[in-house]
Amino acid sequence: MPEVNQATDPSANAGVAPPLVSLKGVWKVFESVPVLRGISFDLKAGEIHALLGGNGSGKSTTVKILCGAHKPTAGVIELNGQPQTFDRPSDAHAKGIYMVPQEPHIFANQTVRENLLIGLAGDVRAYSERCERLARELGLTCDFSTCAGELSIASQQLIEIIRGLLRNARVLIFDEPTSALTIREVKSLFGQMKKLSADGIGIFFISHRLNEVLEISDRVSVLRDGVFVLTAATATLTTNDLVAAMRPAGSAPTNAPEQAQSSAARSPTPTLEVRNLSGKMFHEVSFNVFPGEVVGLAGLVGAGRTELAEAILGIDQHVSGDVAIDGRAAPARSPRICQRLGLAYVPEDRHAHGIFLELPGAQTISASILARLGRPFLSAKREAAVVAQFVQRLGIKLSSPTQLARTLSGGNQQKAVLAKALAALPRIIILDEPTRGIDAQARQDVYRLIRDLTAQGVGVLVISSELAEIIDLSDRILVMYRGRVAEVPRSQARIDQVSAAVFGMAGGAAA
Amino acid sequence: MNRIVRNRELLVLAILGVLIVVIGAISPNFLRPATLINIVNSSLFLLLIAIGEMFVILTRGIDVSTGAMAGLAAVILGVSLNAGVPLPVAIVLTLLTGLAAGTVNAVGVTAFRVPPIIMTLGSLGVYRGLMLLITGGSWIETIPHSIKSVAAFRVAGVPALIWISLAIAVGVAFALKNLKQARYLYAVGDNEEGAFLLGIPVKATIFSAYCLSGLFAGAAAVVFVAQIGFVPMQTGSGQELKAIAAVVLGGVSLSGGTGNSMSAVVGALFLTAVDSMMIFLKVPGFWNNAVGGAILLAVVVIDYRIRCTVRDQQQRARAKEMDQSTFEKNSAAARSASVMGKAT
Amino acid sequence: MIQWKWLRSWEAVLAAALVVELLVLGAINPAFLSVENLLFSTSDFAHVILGALGLTLVVITAGIDISGVSIMGLASIVLGLSWVAGADIWVAVLIALAVGSLAGAFNGLLVANTDVNPLVLTLGSMFMFAGIATGLPGVLDLLGFKAYGAGGFAAYQYEGITGLPKSFTALAHGGVGWVPNPLIAVLLFALVLSLILHRTRFGRYLYLIGVNPNVARYSGVPVKSVLVAVYTLSAFGAAMAGVILTSYFTSARSDLGSEALLNIITAVVLGGTDILGGSGTVLGTLLAGLVLGFLRQGLLALGVSNDVIPVIVGGLLVGTVAMKLGLIAFNQRRGNRRAYQLEISETREGGGSPA
Repeated sequence: MPEVNQATDPSANAGVAPPLVSLKGVWKVFESVPVLRGISFDLKAGEIHALLGGNGSGKSTTVKILCGAHKPTAGVIELNGQPQTFDRPSDAHAKGIYMVPQEPHIFANQTVRENLLIGLAGDVRAYSERCERLARELGLTCDFSTCAGELSIASQQLIEIIRGLLRNARVLIFDEPTSALTIREVKSLFGQMKKLSADGIGIFFISHRLNEVLEISDRVSVLRDGVFVLTAATATLTTNDLVAAMRPAGSAPTNAPEQAQSSAARSPTPTLEVRNLSGKMFHEVSFNVFPGEVVGLAGLVGAGRTELAEAILGIDQHVSGDVAIDGRAAPARSPRICQRLGLAYVPEDRHAHGIFLELPGAQTISASILARLGRPFLSAKREAAVVAQFVQRLGIKLSSPTQLARTLSGGNQQKAVLAKALAALPRIIILDEPTRGIDAQARQDVYRLIRDLTAQGVGVLVISSELAEIIDLSDRILVMYRGRVAEVPRSQARIDQVSAAVFGMAGGAAA
Repeated sequence: MNRIVRNRELLVLAILGVLIVVIGAISPNFLRPATLINIVNSSLFLLLIAIGEMFVILTRGIDVSTGAMAGLAAVILGVSLNAGVPLPVAIVLTLLTGLAAGTVNAVGVTAFRVPPIIMTLGSLGVYRGLMLLITGGSWIETIPHSIKSVAAFRVAGVPALIWISLAIAVGVAFALKNLKQARYLYAVGDNEEGAFLLGIPVKATIFSAYCLSGLFAGAAAVVFVAQIGFVPMQTGSGQELKAIAAVVLGGVSLSGGTGNSMSAVVGALFLTAVDSMMIFLKVPGFWNNAVGGAILLAVVVIDYRIRCTVRDQQQRARAKEMDQSTFEKNSAAARSASVMGKAT
Repeated sequence: MIQWKWLRSWEAVLAAALVVELLVLGAINPAFLSVENLLFSTSDFAHVILGALGLTLVVITAGIDISGVSIMGLASIVLGLSWVAGADIWVAVLIALAVGSLAGAFNGLLVANTDVNPLVLTLGSMFMFAGIATGLPGVLDLLGFKAYGAGGFAAYQYEGITGLPKSFTALAHGGVGWVPNPLIAVLLFALVLSLILHRTRFGRYLYLIGVNPNVARYSGVPVKSVLVAVYTLSAFGAAMAGVILTSYFTSARSDLGSEALLNIITAVVLGGTDILGGSGTVLGTLLAGLVLGFLRQGLLALGVSNDVIPVIVGGLLVGTVAMKLGLIAFNQRRGNRRAYQLEISETREGGGSPA
């Protein structure tokens, strides 16, 4: 197992020019929870510096401090050796620091042109030509007078990138810029980044895609639990080094989740039966999930799997076709009805659909089963008992019963959402990207939970974009491509073949 | 979205046109130019308040004190004229009163972060109370002729106040489209956090919106006193709610980011016209509110249905676009997936 | 969202403020402090508290309903008209309550089924209900009913529908012992709402919806039905207030309660309910309503002009919210600083640089 490197300061030599930007001993505390604990690092001119870290490690907070959106609780920001204070992002912009955010900040009701040019100093017309050239190079092909709200996420992201480039920043921060870009767009972006760094601009690049990090960056820093655990030149690192650095201290490395046990005897009645379901993003989908089995639904971002799940759940009412839950037909569906019939759904976007951030985590857990906690009055004791039961079973770290969900780590939040689903004692549970954005330990806990559920005879439908995960977990694999779902025969359930199916290429199961 | 807003104003104007024709058929007196000009004339008070309200709503805020601000400014105007202050100075004082009142709201909302509905509800009470305090509870009955003559002054047969107000509206529309700082209003209402991160002076923008609301309330007060000739106690009472109804009717979304001064104009004209129509139809006055309320509800519900349909269509279009680009995205994800391993 | 601890202490603050206020006013004017006087003066503002209690539940769902004041007038006029049409007065009361609740259901249906801002929706319905309330007698009169009651239109203009039976009008003036009936109604309603809000799953649904209606939906909460129900409940409270006012003033008028909007919302906000939803208590609103009501009574008794009072109420409204927000921000910054100090000292004791 490779050693974890201590944080080093490569430019400690006297006589070397001060780095372009540096943070020294920066602390940031939110709501009495320390997120950054005295971090120090720097960015040299012309360098592409990658920042890696799991959810909750403090990546976003770090860059927000750099670009002026937050003020540090303690510590110093230096630009070319001079200490700086940023009261607001425009202060940072004026000093030449710009962040391209992970989720595009778009003014949905304004035109694309306005979105690109707003906030620029001076006469905007002077930027017009440069703007159009950049748009062409990056592949933003839409008409500039369309409403920005109508664009795809990828196009909106391009708007943000162009904004950064138009501001001639000397320090550019990219926060997960490639998650929704195509290969061509990523290549173009990397080309631009290399050109900018050749001009002496320092680039700070947050990503979770290790291959990209290894491809484009000069140096890598790994953040874990609010401190930097590794800073080294990329050339000296391998994927394994990075993986090891991001893993929480003390947890044993696991190369693969436990092999899924397929139950020998299976009940003849499927616990979920979907027949000819058709909606906006899928057509004539039919499949079964039997009690005690794990069915994996593979596919790419945008293939329509979440839309399918939400249609089964009844969130989207405009679908045709039939769904039967635990043997009972469900012509009219809503989350409430489906829950009563025995279907539970753990959403892909836990912040938007899964968890009540501004309430104690306990209240998220009990939200689905309030009807069982006493009529007409809720029994606080029963609620506490149920919550305690699931907190223990799933290993949720709650420092107090009244701790707000917002202050929980990503992994704990996901567990709370899982607990909510499980509390309703479902016969079939749909997990939509259950391990996205959570630390490795929580991930193992989720895999273990899935195994326990199948042992109890619960059917599990797992939607995931990580092929290795799906193959390891599932008894059967379905692939969704262009709105159609097909099963991959057991004989072809290897990663390369499933991969092909997911992309709709010949040799895959999807027709 | 812009398309719908533009259409909304035309739509409302079209409905208004149809209504006018219909009423005219029933009661031909309605179509006399004098009547129509009268309608426009009576809508000026609401119109100016509505434009002021629009600035605030563009930033996704709300101001329910505009009527009270107008009332307070009207009282100041009456009192100063009666005290012998020359007309131009008195008008400036009135405008300044409105501006000051709006500034109080602005400070509360930006510096103290009081939610706009609370702040303006509170200042509503305060301003109305001030009105009563200054006048001692009685109407200001006698106003020097100087101000009333302003209302009487006509250019090309149409009262000068109408020309001035419309000029103001057009000027505001132009500024909103072209002035950089005015565009900030839309940005802040559309996505406040995004605006902040882009370096747009969010607090200053919101501050000026509330100040402008007060300023226009002051202007409305000038028009009111000129037209009515005295200052009754209830001046401005309920106007803020009508102003909100007017701008929403005309296409300004309460969630900010869309609309412009012509929305306010169209909305104010519509509501005033409906009032007049009821008079012509000899419908007892108290039905005005019922009809106004019903129209507002109908418009916003229909707007909701339209937006749902549009969103549906956009989703279908995006689904198709996803379809096309899926293949390219695949390759990128595939390569990452096999190299990435478990550590994400 | 405000932490639970803070809320609990806010109610204590309100209770203390109430006591202090009564003592101060009593000190200035000892006659004020007689228990009988105090209790009976609550009848003057009972309708405000009734409106505010129901509104609290609505605001917790991150909604708002400004049509309550119109519903008061609507209920009043429906009561009067039903009675004039020949119904027994108590049946008329039931009809008025039913119509008021239906109006609330109308609001609730609009809020639940469109994404339009509840402020706009209830703004429109406020106009509509007020207009209907004003116009209803006219319509019925045209249809041949003697809608204006005994005195005809002339009397109606000034006094509303009068001549209501003594058994009814005595209601608002009677009481149990020294406790007047309107106050009893307020306390009962507060008790019921409090049980609903804090002890039933319906009440929990209100908080969940207020914090995040989408998450609530995905969690199986029947969002639409809950919203319709809560607006109906709030309107019921307003209708009750209208009935009580009718009894109190011995006449049914369509404009009863129209001045109360500012006071109602001030009571809700002063009571600690977050206008953005997700938190609030019935007790807080009740206490705040009492504080405001007695403040008004006291000031009037002191000879302060009726017109100045909205100034004071408005100032109170803004001042409380500003102060609360300021305190929260201050507490947060202090808590953050303290946590940082704690971490620093811990790691220093641990004898090493962080990780």
